[in-house]
Amino acid sequence: MSTSASGMSASATAKSSLDTVVADQTTAGAATAFPTSAGSPTSALTAGKLRRSPKQGSPGRGKRNIEPFTVVSYIGVGTFGLFALIPLWMIIAGSFTAESTLAKSGYSLFPEPFSLDAYASIFTGAAVFEGYAATLFITVIGTVLSLSATASLSWVIARRMPRISKPLAIFAYIPMLFTGGLVPLYLLVTQVLHLKNSWFSVILPHMMAPFLIFVAVSFFRQLPEEILDSAKVDGAGELRIFFQIVLPLSKPILAVIALFYAVSYWNEWFTAMLFISDPDKYPLQLMLQNLIANVTNAAELPGSSANVAPVYQLRLALTVVTIGPILLAYPFAQRYFVKGLTLGATKG
Amino acid sequence: MSKTTTASRDIGRKTTPAGKAAGTASRKRPSRRSGRDGGLLLLLAAPGIVWFLVFCYAPMAGLVVAFKSFDVSKGIFESPWNGLDNFKYFIASGDAPHIVMNTLVLNVLFLAATLGAGLALAIMLNELRARVFKKFMQSAIFFPYFVSPIVVSIILQVLLAGAGGHGGAANDVLGIFNLPEVSWYTEPGPWPWILTIVKVWQMGGYMSVIFLAAITAIPEEVYEAGMLDGASRARMAMSITLPLLKPTAAILLVLGVGRIFYGDFGTIFAIIGDNGTLFSTTDVIDTYVFRSLRTIGDFGTTAAIGLFQSVVGFILVTAAVLVQRRYSKESSIL
Repeated sequence: MSTSASGMSASATAKSSLDTVVADQTTAGAATAFPTSAGSPTSALTAGKLRRSPKQGSPGRGKRNIEPFTVVSYIGVGTFGLFALIPLWMIIAGSFTAESTLAKSGYSLFPEPFSLDAYASIFTGAAVFEGYAATLFITVIGTVLSLSATASLSWVIARRMPRISKPLAIFAYIPMLFTGGLVPLYLLVTQVLHLKNSWFSVILPHMMAPFLIFVAVSFFRQLPEEILDSAKVDGAGELRIFFQIVLPLSKPILAVIALFYAVSYWNEWFTAMLFISDPDKYPLQLMLQNLIANVTNAAELPGSSANVAPVYQLRLALTVVTIGPILLAYPFAQRYFVKGLTLGATKG
Repeated sequence: MSKTTTASRDIGRKTTPAGKAAGTASRKRPSRRSGRDGGLLLLLAAPGIVWFLVFCYAPMAGLVVAFKSFDVSKGIFESPWNGLDNFKYFIASGDAPHIVMNTLVLNVLFLAATLGAGLALAIMLNELRARVFKKFMQSAIFFPYFVSPIVVSIILQVLLAGAGGHGGAANDVLGIFNLPEVSWYTEPGPWPWILTIVKVWQMGGYMSVIFLAAITAIPEEVYEAGMLDGASRARMAMSITLPLLKPTAAILLVLGVGRIFYGDFGTIFAIIGDNGTLFSTTDVIDTYVFRSLRTIGDFGTTAAIGLFQSVVGFILVTAAVLVQRRYSKESSIL
């Protein structure tokens, strides 16, 4: 490669000076207040001064157009992208492939012959609509409850009210360190609250996510205090401040939190499996899980592959139906997820 | 940091009634005012407080079941005590060592692989200049995070078991290289690695988002200096980006280690389910607890295992949080 011996030593010095930058940055991070959100410790780097390494790079070395590392990066990211997408594509392609082909030659990347049989049989029965209804109920009601409770609790924590905010923060923090576990929760929901076979048994156990409380608190703390103070001067009470000033100013973060909750409710199946035994009340994910079990049973029967009901195509089609809404909403919602993650990741 | 802000806020609060008094005729004493505010704020927090009490704190109290011979008809608090019998029963069953081992091994694999993949992806994504390609790829690699465990398990069946007795895509690939087909679902050996690949698939994009956010916080001048020194892009990635991502990686690592005693129940159970042949390498504490709750219905013993997990987990998480707070003071809500 083009790296000469002198170039190597120059980079080595550059590296050591960078190490000191990193060290500076750690101490600076502890001492100075962080100006903004970013939440990532590296943002403190702006406070650290960069020491230029004494040796300058050899003059006349121009910008190279395409470096090997850039090429490697394109290939690496592209490969991972395919790794991420191909399994999903196989599901979608398989759901449009005729059952006879699936049974004879297995899954492939292209649906041939093209068939809508599975979708037709899914949407003629009432089951999938009931599943959708259950999942929609859990997702919509759950998200509304979660968002309201999270936003208001987080605001009170972020408000820094003496004798209230800090104990409340600790109160919300302890369950992250220590949990009762599955058995007491099971007994609580079934024996004490009697929520078995109610959709609320799926909603309530996961109603508040500590991670999203962190996200909300760290966003609320960035709101300009002047606005709150002036509202206070104008005689606004705490409730008015929250509903008429804080909430409208926080729409972006509320969207982030709502989306995170909505996806987790949509995908929730474990609590449903624990508490919902009535097949009429199964949400989509549980229907799907049931179908897996049935397919496995069907596949274990000897010689069943010849004339079995369209189970393989069917479960793929049901999978597509289940992830469909997420797949459709994702392109629009993705930036919100990234934003929420950026704000809260290093705080969870 | 928090001290100064609180101080400035207090000043703001004290001046408020004064300003108000000057502006209008109504006078309210500061103490009464803040008392009412406190009440209103508590009202605002009430739903959250109630939820935490019922769904987090009550189950903690419910852990006394671990020391009882639980009888459904008598309820949690009326059932007779039986001391440490539940714990003895769990230890006598001989399952403890391997499920604890599996939990630790799997989580270490998951943590190392997802952190490594996230770091590599973020650094490589940072190199991309073609905007449309970059955006598309970022969306693509983040998407699996939003796929439910059930769907993941179906994808795995498609890839590993195939349909109608045909070996699935993984065996097709093995066939290209003239390797013998593997009956994946009866072979416990490869499963820790399969689950690790699944985890990387799910979490690689998620981790890369976090690291990419940290990379964007690195000031441009550092790279300009690197360019002046004639560093190649690869060298800048190795000597600038990577060292500056260390703090972020350290925090994620510490937090991950803190949660090492909690398996990813959803994904593992959705994939393995009740497939007993795979338990020797994949059964973790959470799946074990759930299965014994469902099949044996022995609340006392399962609660005892849960308590054991919570206590060890608590020690690890607390240690992790203490270590993490030493690294970054502002990253806690307290």
